Amino acid sequence: MTPGDIAAFAQGAVVTVALSVAGILIGLPVGLGLALIRWGKVPVIGRLVALYVSILRATPLVTLLLLLFFALPNVGVPIDPYSAAILALSMNTSAFNCEIWRAALLAFPKDQLEAAMSVGMSAGLRFRRIVLPQIARASLPALVNEMSLLIKVTPVLAVVGVVDITRAAVRIGAETYEPLPPFLVAIALYAPIIFGLVSLQRFIERRHAAAEAA
Amino acid sequence: MTSRFSRRRALGLLAAPLAVPLFSHAASAATLEEIKKRGYMIVATEDDFRPFEFVKDGKPTGFDNELLEDLRKFAPFQVKQEIIPWTGLLAGVSTGKYDVALTAAIITKERKKSLDFTSPIADATHYYVKRKGDTSITSIKDLSGKTCGVQAGSALLGRLPELETMLKKDGGKLGKVVEYTSYPEAYQDLALKRVDYVVNTIINIKALVTEKPTVFEIGQAVSGKSYPAWAVAKDNKELLAFLNEFIAKEKANGRFAELQKKWFNESFPDLPVTFEPEF
Repeated sequence: MTPGDIAAFAQGAVVTVALSVAGILIGLPVGLGLALIRWGKVPVIGRLVALYVSILRATPLVTLLLLLFFALPNVGVPIDPYSAAILALSMNTSAFNCEIWRAALLAFPKDQLEAAMSVGMSAGLRFRRIVLPQIARASLPALVNEMSLLIKVTPVLAVVGVVDITRAAVRIGAETYEPLPPFLVAIALYAPIIFGLVSLQRFIERRHAAAEAA
Repeated sequence: MTSRFSRRRALGLLAAPLAVPLFSHAASAATLEEIKKRGYMIVATEDDFRPFEFVKDGKPTGFDNELLEDLRKFAPFQVKQEIIPWTGLLAGVSTGKYDVALTAAIITKERKKSLDFTSPIADATHYYVKRKGDTSITSIKDLSGKTCGVQAGSALLGRLPELETMLKKDGGKLGKVVEYTSYPEAYQDLALKRVDYVVNTIINIKALVTEKPTVFEIGQAVSGKSYPAWAVAKDNKELLAFLNEFIAKEKANGRFAELQKKWFNESFPDLPVTFEPEF
């Protein structure tokens, strides 16, 4: 492994993490927003959200990405590979996040809301103080699950020219005709990224448990 | 019932405007005049196609990338490069996302329907490569019934019927064909004995065998004449003429032969200026 290869892997790791973080940071609140629209049974928009979620859950990420990347410039929207990759990732993950948030919302006990209303809490306050803390806790394991899946689908983004960890490994393998060593390095790089994410989940869960015990 | 129906209809309506531009792409490829006006041209190259284009220590290199350096000096406008995998490359050129596929795309009848090709840049006669020391294969007829590895969507896959004809002449038959997304995986599987031979162009196979002489061994030709060239969108005539002019200049000043010698270990002085594919 030459210093150049190590630099290529390091750059690939930065790209993988940056794209994943961007996808998660956009997809998480968008998913929550979509779930709230459906939960609140907003007329028309609620139906459109259901349609959006159905389409996106039915579309493979790589297909969505190619469509965005090649079709958007045709309708006058120039898009570079990294923007297309982030857009496709966040669209895809927001649909799945929406359903995770919605599951928690559907399971949310209505009597708590009625109690909050009876003491005159506004809708915004009810959501922030009563609903969000509880659904966030209930959704956390499923959301982290979706995030770890998102990190591991990032190699398909390479199809539009994004160089992530896996593509860096492919390039090194193609140059040396020895594909195995770079793939082993790639796997070794994904493991700590996922481990970091899961550790974050544990930390949040432990903090919650501590707060509850206090 | 009605809700399901309307949802499906709405789905179709939503998808339609996205699909339409995909089928009306011919108009969107930039002409040479438009390229000159906007001041830049976008070329797409591959990243795992040694010796034509590959990435070494994070930098694009290989035969096409060195020619690209000369093209930058030759062109009266800026030349931007996008390095992408083969999968979306030709589609990107025919949709106008990239102006030129600056890669060794083999000229085929099928591709000529949506693309136009420059003068050939090398010889791409198809050869087979086998494992070093595999005594069960010594000539073409030994390939009968053996498992073949080839790249999916490649011109090489399209010309396997030629090999099949050769095999049938001796009463043999083409064995199972395994398709790979790219050649490095096919070579790996050849070394692992999952396939018995891999078909690729003479240049790619020579590069492989030079790099790994203890693992692989070059076989014989399994196709007739075949040439790779750069591609532009169909009917983009001025841009094609511009690129052909560049290639002719590089051939005349000896640079072409020099680069071929450097990357392919041989030069091809008798390349045709235009090539009409039979397959």
